[in-house]
Amino acid sequence: MSPVFDPAALPDIIGELKEVRARMPQLTGVLLATVDGLVLAHDADGVEPEGVAALTAAALGVGARVAEATGQGSLLELLTRGERGYTATYAAGAFLVLTLFTGPDVNVGLLHFEARRAGGRIAALADAQLRRMPVPGSPVDA
Amino acid sequence: MTTTDLALKDAMSSIEGAIGVALVDYNSGMALGTLGGGELDLTVAAAANTDVVRAKVRAIEMLNLNSAIDDILITLTDQYHLIRPLTSRSGKGLFLYLALDRNRSNLAMARHQLRRIEGDLEV
Repeated sequence: MSPVFDPAALPDIIGELKEVRARMPQLTGVLLATVDGLVLAHDADGVEPEGVAALTAAALGVGARVAEATGQGSLLELLTRGERGYTATYAAGAFLVLTLFTGPDVNVGLLHFEARRAGGRIAALADAQLRRMPVPGSPVDA
Repeated sequence: MTTTDLALKDAMSSIEGAIGVALVDYNSGMALGTLGGGELDLTVAAAANTDVVRAKVRAIEMLNLNSAIDDILITLTDQYHLIRPLTSRSGKGLFLYLALDRNRSNLAMARHQLRRIEGDLEV
């Protein structure tokens, strides 16, 4: 179960998504979702964000179990290559995942570089917002 | 040790002033191997220089030059960056990337050595 997000924090996070799109013109879309498949923001033509976020959540679950079962720790990235492009999912903190869609000719090295950086910045923004929120069940004035 | 590792090791040890070297796939921007680098992140250099190679290949096509890149030299204030696409059939789509310290290197010798290493490299 992921925490509920304060919509006030979203503009900064959406700014990060716009930034990553501007830096990589080869991207055909971006999608930010929670690890359990709730869409927070998207800008992608031709994909149905709710469906893809749900599929991503399922794939992450399997990927995380594979990583764990093989002693590789927690899942950080998931790269799917199809005939007509890539779908790449990156962890952005503990609760969010950033998914990028690209054509087949993308520079994967650069995709990793830009997406990992954006994921780190989104994680920082999301974590800062989470710290401002009272955690359910914990003393509010702690 | 693979041939790639040997070639990278050869480049680092035989080329005076070498800072780092990488063998890069310019279809994906990923490095097949890297050696050295220090503060220079060679995976990032591999990805970023893939765009340099792609841009030049496109320029050659647009100009209808029926030719290929022998090497690309980028001169910084304190470094040389040398890019050399592989010419062998097995090395198609790959390039060698070499960063040199300008103060410790001999450019002519470095190009000569890199050409030799590239010629010997079978991936």
